[in-house]
Amino acid sequence: MDEQFDFKKKYRNILLVLMTGGILVALAVILISQPGASRIWANVLLNNQFFIGLSLGAAFFLAVHRVSQSGWHTLLQRLPEAMTTFLPVAFVLMLLIYFGIHNLYGWTNNNPTDKVIEGKRAWLNIPFFFIRLVIYFAGWIVLTRMMRKNSLSLMTSADLKYHNRKILFAGLFLVFYGITVSASSWDWIMSLDAHWYSTLFGWYVLIGMFVTSLAFITLLIWFLKRLGYLKYIRPDHVHDMAILIFAFSIFWTYQWFAQYELIWYGHLPEETSYYITRLHHFKVIFYINLGVNFLVPFFGLITFNSKQHIGWVAIIAALVLIGHWIDYWLLIMPAAAGDKAGIGLLEISMTLIYGCMFVYIVFRSLSAGPLVVKNDPYILESLNYES
Amino acid sequence: MRSRSYISIYFDDEVPLLQAVRILRDKKEIITDVLSPFPVHGLDEALSIKRSRIPVVGFIFGALGAILAFGFQAWVFTVSYPLIIGGKPFFSVPTFIPITFELTVLFAGLSMVAALLIRSKLKPDIRFKPLDERITDDRFVIIVDASDDGTAFDRVKSLLSGIHTLEIRH
Repeated sequence: MDEQFDFKKKYRNILLVLMTGGILVALAVILISQPGASRIWANVLLNNQFFIGLSLGAAFFLAVHRVSQSGWHTLLQRLPEAMTTFLPVAFVLMLLIYFGIHNLYGWTNNNPTDKVIEGKRAWLNIPFFFIRLVIYFAGWIVLTRMMRKNSLSLMTSADLKYHNRKILFAGLFLVFYGITVSASSWDWIMSLDAHWYSTLFGWYVLIGMFVTSLAFITLLIWFLKRLGYLKYIRPDHVHDMAILIFAFSIFWTYQWFAQYELIWYGHLPEETSYYITRLHHFKVIFYINLGVNFLVPFFGLITFNSKQHIGWVAIIAALVLIGHWIDYWLLIMPAAAGDKAGIGLLEISMTLIYGCMFVYIVFRSLSAGPLVVKNDPYILESLNYES
Repeated sequence: MRSRSYISIYFDDEVPLLQAVRILRDKKEIITDVLSPFPVHGLDEALSIKRSRIPVVGFIFGALGAILAFGFQAWVFTVSYPLIIGGKPFFSVPTFIPITFELTVLFAGLSMVAALLIRSKLKPDIRFKPLDERITDDRFVIIVDASDDGTAFDRVKSLLSGIHTLEIRH
């Protein structure tokens, strides 16, 4: 029970080599094919958003389970906790956007004749954009650190006050996250098309974040089990992860369709412009997005047996992870990079850099503590859990 | 030829019930039925009852509902009674999806209830006399087939001597 993840030098080296390779390829692509500043910055934004989503979705996973006082996830709670430690790095990376803000966001360029954007000036101005960014990250980082520290203190003490505090922090996080995830998605993604708006955009991004982090947690479980850790995670726990991926993929599709259907029906030019750029110029990616994120988890995880095998669930989770990267691509790229948008070596190498960095940080913080919090009151319930 | 006879074993908790079920099945006694006031976790595995096939019924009828709903709308709006609504084409898939979804859920739900009622032979005018009024409240009963010879009663009694039972009746 007292096992600890050993982040071996071998894995560290593999990750660093891959990351260096990614940086070299990205530099080569930028120098040789001149993709243009807006596409490079759009890549930075896309990967920031994707990996911030992984961290925040993991914190959301913890918070939801703690507030509802569920027991089954207790054995694997250290994995999402490790995923939240990427947020400080993400903060620095997000501040980099300052240098590319004019390439990304059209509203930053003053144009007094544009009445729509002038009307939104109270919200969309550069100082307030960065004030909000600092507020979001301050809240997220402080609350996730408190959540993580507090659950670690249950290693040395069995005091019930730490358990109660866990629920309190989770509640605080949920309230803060619920507001800021909507606001940050307006800031970072929706304001790329500053004329366009959708009232359920924040929800849509939130669910996307949650599904991606569920998929990533499943992949972490699969990987650690392959290395011989997490022996106590049985098919029953895997089953519940699979149920969550299944259910929230359907919910994601519901959100996607609700937004699409209303805009399609209403047929207002200022709303349909969003789908016209995406559907007409990137038809294949548009339908791949829907297929990978809905049909694959729906038919892949519909039967009882398919949810029991970690290998199979991990394959579906990997596909869903790629699918939601494509979803973010569709949200960001067509608006930010315009005609230059595409999925090429630049996108792949940039994502590789970010991915290696994310995995490195997750593994490092996972190896800094035990894999199971041994004084958690729900540990026995989780050990004997039957789904 | 003896007539069929049964032994009923009474418990006041689910834990000894599960232990008894495992012991009896180990010793190859034939358990005809287990009666309990609520679903007992792990009982299906202990009795090695196969997983219910109700989800298959749900999937088949859900798919049927989806096909019927989509097909009907497609037929109505293109062949039977084409109307121009909001300047959209006659065959416009997004409008069909909410109704297709609703009918999928309706068919799946109703078919699963119907399949359950048919398979467990429940019908409105059924007359049912419980073995013992208490099993609808707080008693658990195992019914063991004892029609092979006269020794079953003593055999079961000795097998369950270590377990807290309320009474064992022939």
